[in-house]
Amino acid sequence: MARPGVHASTAWLFMLPFLLLFALFTLWPLLFNGWLAFHDYFIASGATAWNGLANFVFLAEDEQYFHPALLHTLVFLLVVPVLQLVALGMALLLRVNRPGIGMFRALFYSPVILSVTIGAVVWQQLLQPDGLVNWLLASLAGLPQHTLPDWLNDPRYALAATLVFYCWKYAGYYMVLYLAGLQNVPRAQLEAAMLDGAGAWARLRHITLPALQPVILLATLLATIAALKAFQEIVVLTGGGAGTSTLLVYAYYVGFYGQNFGAAGAVAFLLTLFCLLLARVQLRWLGENGLLRHGGVR
Amino acid sequence: MKRRDWLPALGQYAALLPFVLVAAFPLLWTFSVAISEDPSHMWHFPQSLWPHEPGLMWFSRVQAEIPIGRYLFNSLGISLGITIFSTLLAIPCGYALSQIPFRGSNALFMLLLLTLMLPSELAIIPNFLTFSRLGLVDSYVAVVLPGLASAFGAFLMRQAFQDLPQDILDAARVDGASEWQLLWRVALPQCRAMVSALAIFSFVQSWNDYLWPAVILKDRLKVPLSVGIFNDLTGPFSTSTSMVMAAIIVAALPVLIAFACTQRYFLGGDESAAAQRSAIGDN
Repeated sequence: MARPGVHASTAWLFMLPFLLLFALFTLWPLLFNGWLAFHDYFIASGATAWNGLANFVFLAEDEQYFHPALLHTLVFLLVVPVLQLVALGMALLLRVNRPGIGMFRALFYSPVILSVTIGAVVWQQLLQPDGLVNWLLASLAGLPQHTLPDWLNDPRYALAATLVFYCWKYAGYYMVLYLAGLQNVPRAQLEAAMLDGAGAWARLRHITLPALQPVILLATLLATIAALKAFQEIVVLTGGGAGTSTLLVYAYYVGFYGQNFGAAGAVAFLLTLFCLLLARVQLRWLGENGLLRHGGVR
Repeated sequence: MKRRDWLPALGQYAALLPFVLVAAFPLLWTFSVAISEDPSHMWHFPQSLWPHEPGLMWFSRVQAEIPIGRYLFNSLGISLGITIFSTLLAIPCGYALSQIPFRGSNALFMLLLLTLMLPSELAIIPNFLTFSRLGLVDSYVAVVLPGLASAFGAFLMRQAFQDLPQDILDAARVDGASEWQLLWRVALPQCRAMVSALAIFSFVQSWNDYLWPAVILKDRLKVPLSVGIFNDLTGPFSTSTSMVMAAIIVAALPVLIAFACTQRYFLGGDESAAAQRSAIGDN
């Protein structure tokens, strides 16, 4: 709609400070990663040189570090279905308002609020070889304690432990999405089904889940992108050792410690392309005219 | 409560129990270890879940050996700076995107949405190189600046202004108000809830951010709580679990209290739902 007396220049003036910072610290890094991916970069001298696809070849040949990192990132996608099941379960249990339900919601959300470093320090203690988790397992399963694993330092278990930590940290986030979605499940249908004698499972299967479909889709996409960029959670919990490094952990170490900024840029570039692909899907479903604009429902 | 409601209620609470155990058990254990002056039970299950010889000894050790007050002060300064300035920048940007027609408006909005979906961690290396060029490594400016242009904030404010009744704005325009006055005097007061939601989200996010401040700050006395506590607790003090746990409680308490006071923004109401849904890439 035309707005008499309102000039486009006013809009740019309003946005100017934001756009300057946005360009410098959000857009420039994206472009710079793309540029780095095809260059050698020496931070000390500031010298650069075009090297074609050498950085990508370096990645493809780095069987010792890059290949496992790629594999671990794919394994990390396991958290996506697990998080959805746990979060949906919590949301279903917390849907009906009863005394104390608000407290449970707050409790389940509290790991999301806490800093990832705080969570990691607590779990490092819990997961020590003589830590509380092993005591719990020993007394529940009756196993002698010295046969139980050193969760965070044993390559056979460290990735699994990291996944559990990740789910503990973020399940509450997805719970809130599902709680919001559950408010839009048609009540009349649920009550009609109840009168017709449909059991809890039938109601979930035929009324609740179909109504939740858009939210499930949204939460799955968000969780997928989040899992692909799993990074801080790993750096603080295991430091990326014991077979837990992912793509971003690799990029971080190869850049800051290996001084190979080109390879780091190449990883970032590849991940950006992949996320852009996912974002395309996401925008189609959730963009301006998609579900996001309309509250995630219909 | 009617009688027939008892059974499902009981079933509901029983089914919640395993979730409660997993969610609460780490925090409960942390708390009980921190206030137990006698640490000998801390690895025994289940005795470790309640305190032995409760007291504040470990807290005074923390206070004496970790500059936790300084970390808290740094965290507060950094988070407040990011929250205030990023909100102030996002408001006019969101307003322009929703209320003032200009060429490329849609494209710009799509660009903002797109960057929301990319991992912000990818910017760490380029931004570090930028700041080392500028000679600003180890400065508060470098900690705060990259967080100020929040695409998430601009997006959220645009949605808020978009939903305003157009008549009110047009009436004010007819009365001769400039767009700047319109924004601050007419539009913004009606979006107060969204502004507070945005402010709370950015505060929590910047308070908890670890990686960027850890990369850019070198001086031990400059770092925020999330970095300082992690460095100290996994380094020099990691051998005393009781002290680690006491420090964790000190670090977590302000956040938990703030959360308890503002939880409706996280757990209920429309703003929270909208904010959560669009918090793409912000967890």
